[in-house]
Amino acid sequence: MEIYLPIAEMSVHWLIVLGLGGAIGFLSGLFGVGGGFLLTPLLIFYGVPAEVAVATTASHITASSISGALAQWRRRALDLKMGAVMAAGGLGGSVFGVWLFTVMRRVGQMDLLVSASYVILLGTVGGLMLSESLAALRRSRGGAPPPRRAPHTWMHGLPFKMRFRESRLYISVIPPIVIGIFVGILSAIMGVGGGFVIVPAMIYLLRMPTNVVMGTSLFQIIIVTAATTILQATTNYSVDIMLALFLILGGVIGAQFGVRAGERLRGEQLRLLLALLVLAVALRLLVGLVLKPDDLYTVTTVAR
Amino acid sequence: MKRPAAIALSLCLSVAPAMATEDVVAGLSQDSVQIQSNYTGTDIVVFGAIEHLEDTGSNDIVVVVRGPDADMTVRQKQWVAGIWINRDQAKLLAMPSYYFIASTRPLDKIASSFTLERYAMGLNNVEPARAISHHDPEPFRQAVVRHKQDDGLYGEMPAGVELQSPTLFRARIPVPATVPRGTYDVEVYLFRDGTVISAQSTPLFIDQAGLELRLYNFAHKKPFSYGVVTVLMASFLGWLSSVFFRRNE
Repeated sequence: MEIYLPIAEMSVHWLIVLGLGGAIGFLSGLFGVGGGFLLTPLLIFYGVPAEVAVATTASHITASSISGALAQWRRRALDLKMGAVMAAGGLGGSVFGVWLFTVMRRVGQMDLLVSASYVILLGTVGGLMLSESLAALRRSRGGAPPPRRAPHTWMHGLPFKMRFRESRLYISVIPPIVIGIFVGILSAIMGVGGGFVIVPAMIYLLRMPTNVVMGTSLFQIIIVTAATTILQATTNYSVDIMLALFLILGGVIGAQFGVRAGERLRGEQLRLLLALLVLAVALRLLVGLVLKPDDLYTVTTVAR
Repeated sequence: MKRPAAIALSLCLSVAPAMATEDVVAGLSQDSVQIQSNYTGTDIVVFGAIEHLEDTGSNDIVVVVRGPDADMTVRQKQWVAGIWINRDQAKLLAMPSYYFIASTRPLDKIASSFTLERYAMGLNNVEPARAISHHDPEPFRQAVVRHKQDDGLYGEMPAGVELQSPTLFRARIPVPATVPRGTYDVEVYLFRDGTVISAQSTPLFIDQAGLELRLYNFAHKKPFSYGVVTVLMASFLGWLSSVFFRRNE
């Protein structure tokens, strides 16, 4: 049965959308990521207008993150205060990102903005993850101990310090806010939750204990993607609730299978697979920018 | 805005009755198309008859269906610093969002290119009311025609009008799932030896219906509430799945 998407203004087969949501949910359960970085490009390849894909994916991530965050909350593995500080920055970033998105759409460079952000960000993160996971695999074979964390950094000299009890940290609020702003912008222009940026930033920059990292990042992702959804709906009218419904239904089911499959694989292997996946998406989008397109012309209809 | 075709049509009609007695009457299989959740595209059947047919000369029927006008921005990619990015652009104001033309024979066999241009018949003659561009807008116009053809929203059907008898004709016009909403104009022309001797115009309404219409209106009239509802739906489904699957473990 075909369903008509009222905002994307196109017909899609509900099984395809449900399956797409399920596949992304499976991967997000497997790797513990939101999967927005895969969902947005896949929707665009499928023919959904880029602005609808970006905005609707944000609501999909809200749903999958709530599912995950509730599980972490029950284990008390969540630093609410840190999450709130980062979300405050994230809201600012999201407002800026949606504005940037609107401006770029008007001047016709929105596709470039989305593609280029993906190539740069996924290329960098994928490359770092690949080298890190390869090193970890080599270490686990060689038996050498992992490198020790540096005890003190320049960040401890910043003002506006705050105590984060669950994270056992006494640090300036500036780094978490800046990270939040950055991730908020990503959420608005790429339709991603930004977990693949927040998690490493929390571990390596803020030096939060790993047990609260997952829950806290999910908490901040919920706030930011929910705000992004509402902002995109009010500014660009680009959130498709029918598309969101089917993607979410597929996603929450797929995620459960993903979690179970993930329990059978080792952490380093998972990270290696995820790194390869991230790099593949970046490469695919890079090819789209570099290769001569079949048709040099694009047509955008402006509502009268 | 008055289109050249419409002006030409009214001019022609004021003269036509004096020259010929032949007339065309036409109807549509349906006055309106409702786009609902299971809408995958349909066909509109345009049917009609030639009245007071005279045996001499050759008669041809041309059916033109035009969708509501829209402004289009066409961008051209150029190779800059190793990547292809949008550089050049043209704005085409008031291009039809949908254009299908069906005829009994290929258009160039029916009338001269001058006549076809005057009535805006054929994909070569679909023009915007105005083009804003730094140079020749023709490649940009052609790009629109090409894209719209790929989307199934523009088309020429040189044998699309079938004559079931010397006086009865019928044409099937596709209305794909991606059609824009609005008031369409169905024009039926009777050609005799290369000139229009009769014409008729009928409106066709295409609109979303039911849930789709309500969602579309909700999203555009109360965007904030719509965004909040989407987030609440997402939150509820997320919560539901966490409750449901926890019980299974």
